[in-house]
Amino acid sequence: MSLVEAFAANATTAGFHVHRGDQPQIEGAAVSQASFGLADTGSVVLFASPEEPRARHLLTQVHVSVLRERGILPGLHELFEAVAHDFPGALTIVTGPSTSGDIEQRLVVGVHGPREVHVVLVP
Amino acid sequence: VRAFLAQPADRFRATAREALADARMQEAIDSGTFRPRQSRIDSWQALPDVEELRERAHAIRMETVENLDRYVDEFAAAARAAGAHVHLAATAEDACAYVTDVCRRRGARLVAKAKSMLSEEIQLNAALAAIGVEAVECDLGEYVMQLAGEHPTHILAPALEKTAVDIAELFSRGGDAVEPELEALADEARRRLRGVFETADVGVTGANFAVAETGSICLVTNEGNGGLVTALPPVHVALVGMERMVPRLANLAILLQLLARSASGQSLSSYTRLLTGPRRDGEHDGPEEVYVVIIDNGRTNLRTGRYKEMLACIRCGACLNVCPVYRKAGGSSYGPVYSGPMGAVLVPLLVGLEHAPSLPHASSLCGACSAACPVKIPLHELLLDLRRDLAGRGIASRAERIAFQIWSLAWSRPRPYRASTTAARLLQRLAALAGPGRRWAVGRALPRLRRRYRDRRDTR
Repeated sequence: MSLVEAFAANATTAGFHVHRGDQPQIEGAAVSQASFGLADTGSVVLFASPEEPRARHLLTQVHVSVLRERGILPGLHELFEAVAHDFPGALTIVTGPSTSGDIEQRLVVGVHGPREVHVVLVP
Repeated sequence: VRAFLAQPADRFRATAREALADARMQEAIDSGTFRPRQSRIDSWQALPDVEELRERAHAIRMETVENLDRYVDEFAAAARAAGAHVHLAATAEDACAYVTDVCRRRGARLVAKAKSMLSEEIQLNAALAAIGVEAVECDLGEYVMQLAGEHPTHILAPALEKTAVDIAELFSRGGDAVEPELEALADEARRRLRGVFETADVGVTGANFAVAETGSICLVTNEGNGGLVTALPPVHVALVGMERMVPRLANLAILLQLLARSASGQSLSSYTRLLTGPRRDGEHDGPEEVYVVIIDNGRTNLRTGRYKEMLACIRCGACLNVCPVYRKAGGSSYGPVYSGPMGAVLVPLLVGLEHAPSLPHASSLCGACSAACPVKIPLHELLLDLRRDLAGRGIASRAERIAFQIWSLAWSRPRPYRASTTAARLLQRLAALAGPGRRWAVGRALPRLRRRYRDRRDTR
């Protein structure tokens, strides 16, 4: 399985809606540009910057992250090697929607962050 | 603080007895520990070689513990270079004084908190309240416990023993009734706490790890509270247990692969955040000032000798979920902060064995905790060693000491030894018929004691 296929499968398991090419138009959604993706866990990696505020992806009910396919790495090891010399002030690895198991250990989504998360794979 | 964490000898039994009599609580603990227990097992099995990963994680943690001073220095230098203020606090009082100073200097009135067991350990909320600063817990479970005026009963799921009905009652106090439905409760918490994130003067978090190489704080959350607390308020205070150091990012990659899997069965939690210094030029959010407080508070007691392995703990909660004693006695039996096997080992070491003498006995020594520990801490062996220390230092009860002295004397000679096994054979049968042993014997069958020692000698 290619990295892209593995990413898509694991991101789906993690709770992302995965899109190829077309960005869904959802009113009020926060849109982020992911710096990397992790195939092993189906995660998107966000670097804080003037264009990418730290809180934005957490403030809305829906988060749409745009990820370039060539930014997909196998996993954490490769991510940390890649960022060693260009470390942002805040690096966030997002793996699915905001969840909580704090009530009776039953899963509920969207406690502080988004209820619904999308990743858009672009070439 | 010592008095706060201490657990006097009779309190464990008394609290556990209450927990056992509370059917609703028993059911909540059962269902609350079942799911994460099963999820951990499944996700460990899905890894190509979990044993190798656990060995590597153990080696990383022990190397860090052996060289803790070096890594604390390295972390402090890197964090300062990134623009953070770093303070080393020897005690809880010292740590609280530093944080309250920061709050005073900033004229803070409201503090938003992400979940931090260390902040519970140092009683930060009380210290803040004493200078008129309100601290609001933003992790859903912690928020529930704050509303209830109780301490967390599980290091990962603070409100594990509360049901949706209990929580709805708490949320409805002094306001509109909230339905005991999962979604309604989560919505209500989101609505109430969003305002806290937005208006807080200071955000306080713990740290799952602190990376020495980069001076970064690593925060792992599922709700996103860690992200908001460190993005919206103008000041971020991170409380870091001194043993949380991780030398390099490559080491962090190993530990992160085990943390979420062991806690909840997820491959990674929803949000894993690495924070390095304050907001940078041009950024529109993130703290203007970052204060990192590295806290000892008794951890130095553990650094030499047998018990240093306890400093390897990454606070995943797996040992609580598998422990037959925790699952019956409940978290509060162990005291206000740390519970289950990790708490039974850690608390006596932090406060002194004489201040928590019942905790090493809060175990059946079945070893389920050690088998579930992602960093391979031999928890049940450490509990046994603590019991040995209790006896050696004369903290054990007088009756227990006399009983063991007689036993030891009797078994060091053949005649009394033989007499004791003969007596045991007889008593074994008698005890099952009458007296206090009868209830115990119902539904249990002991192997018959054999006359092997004597038989062998006679045939020689």
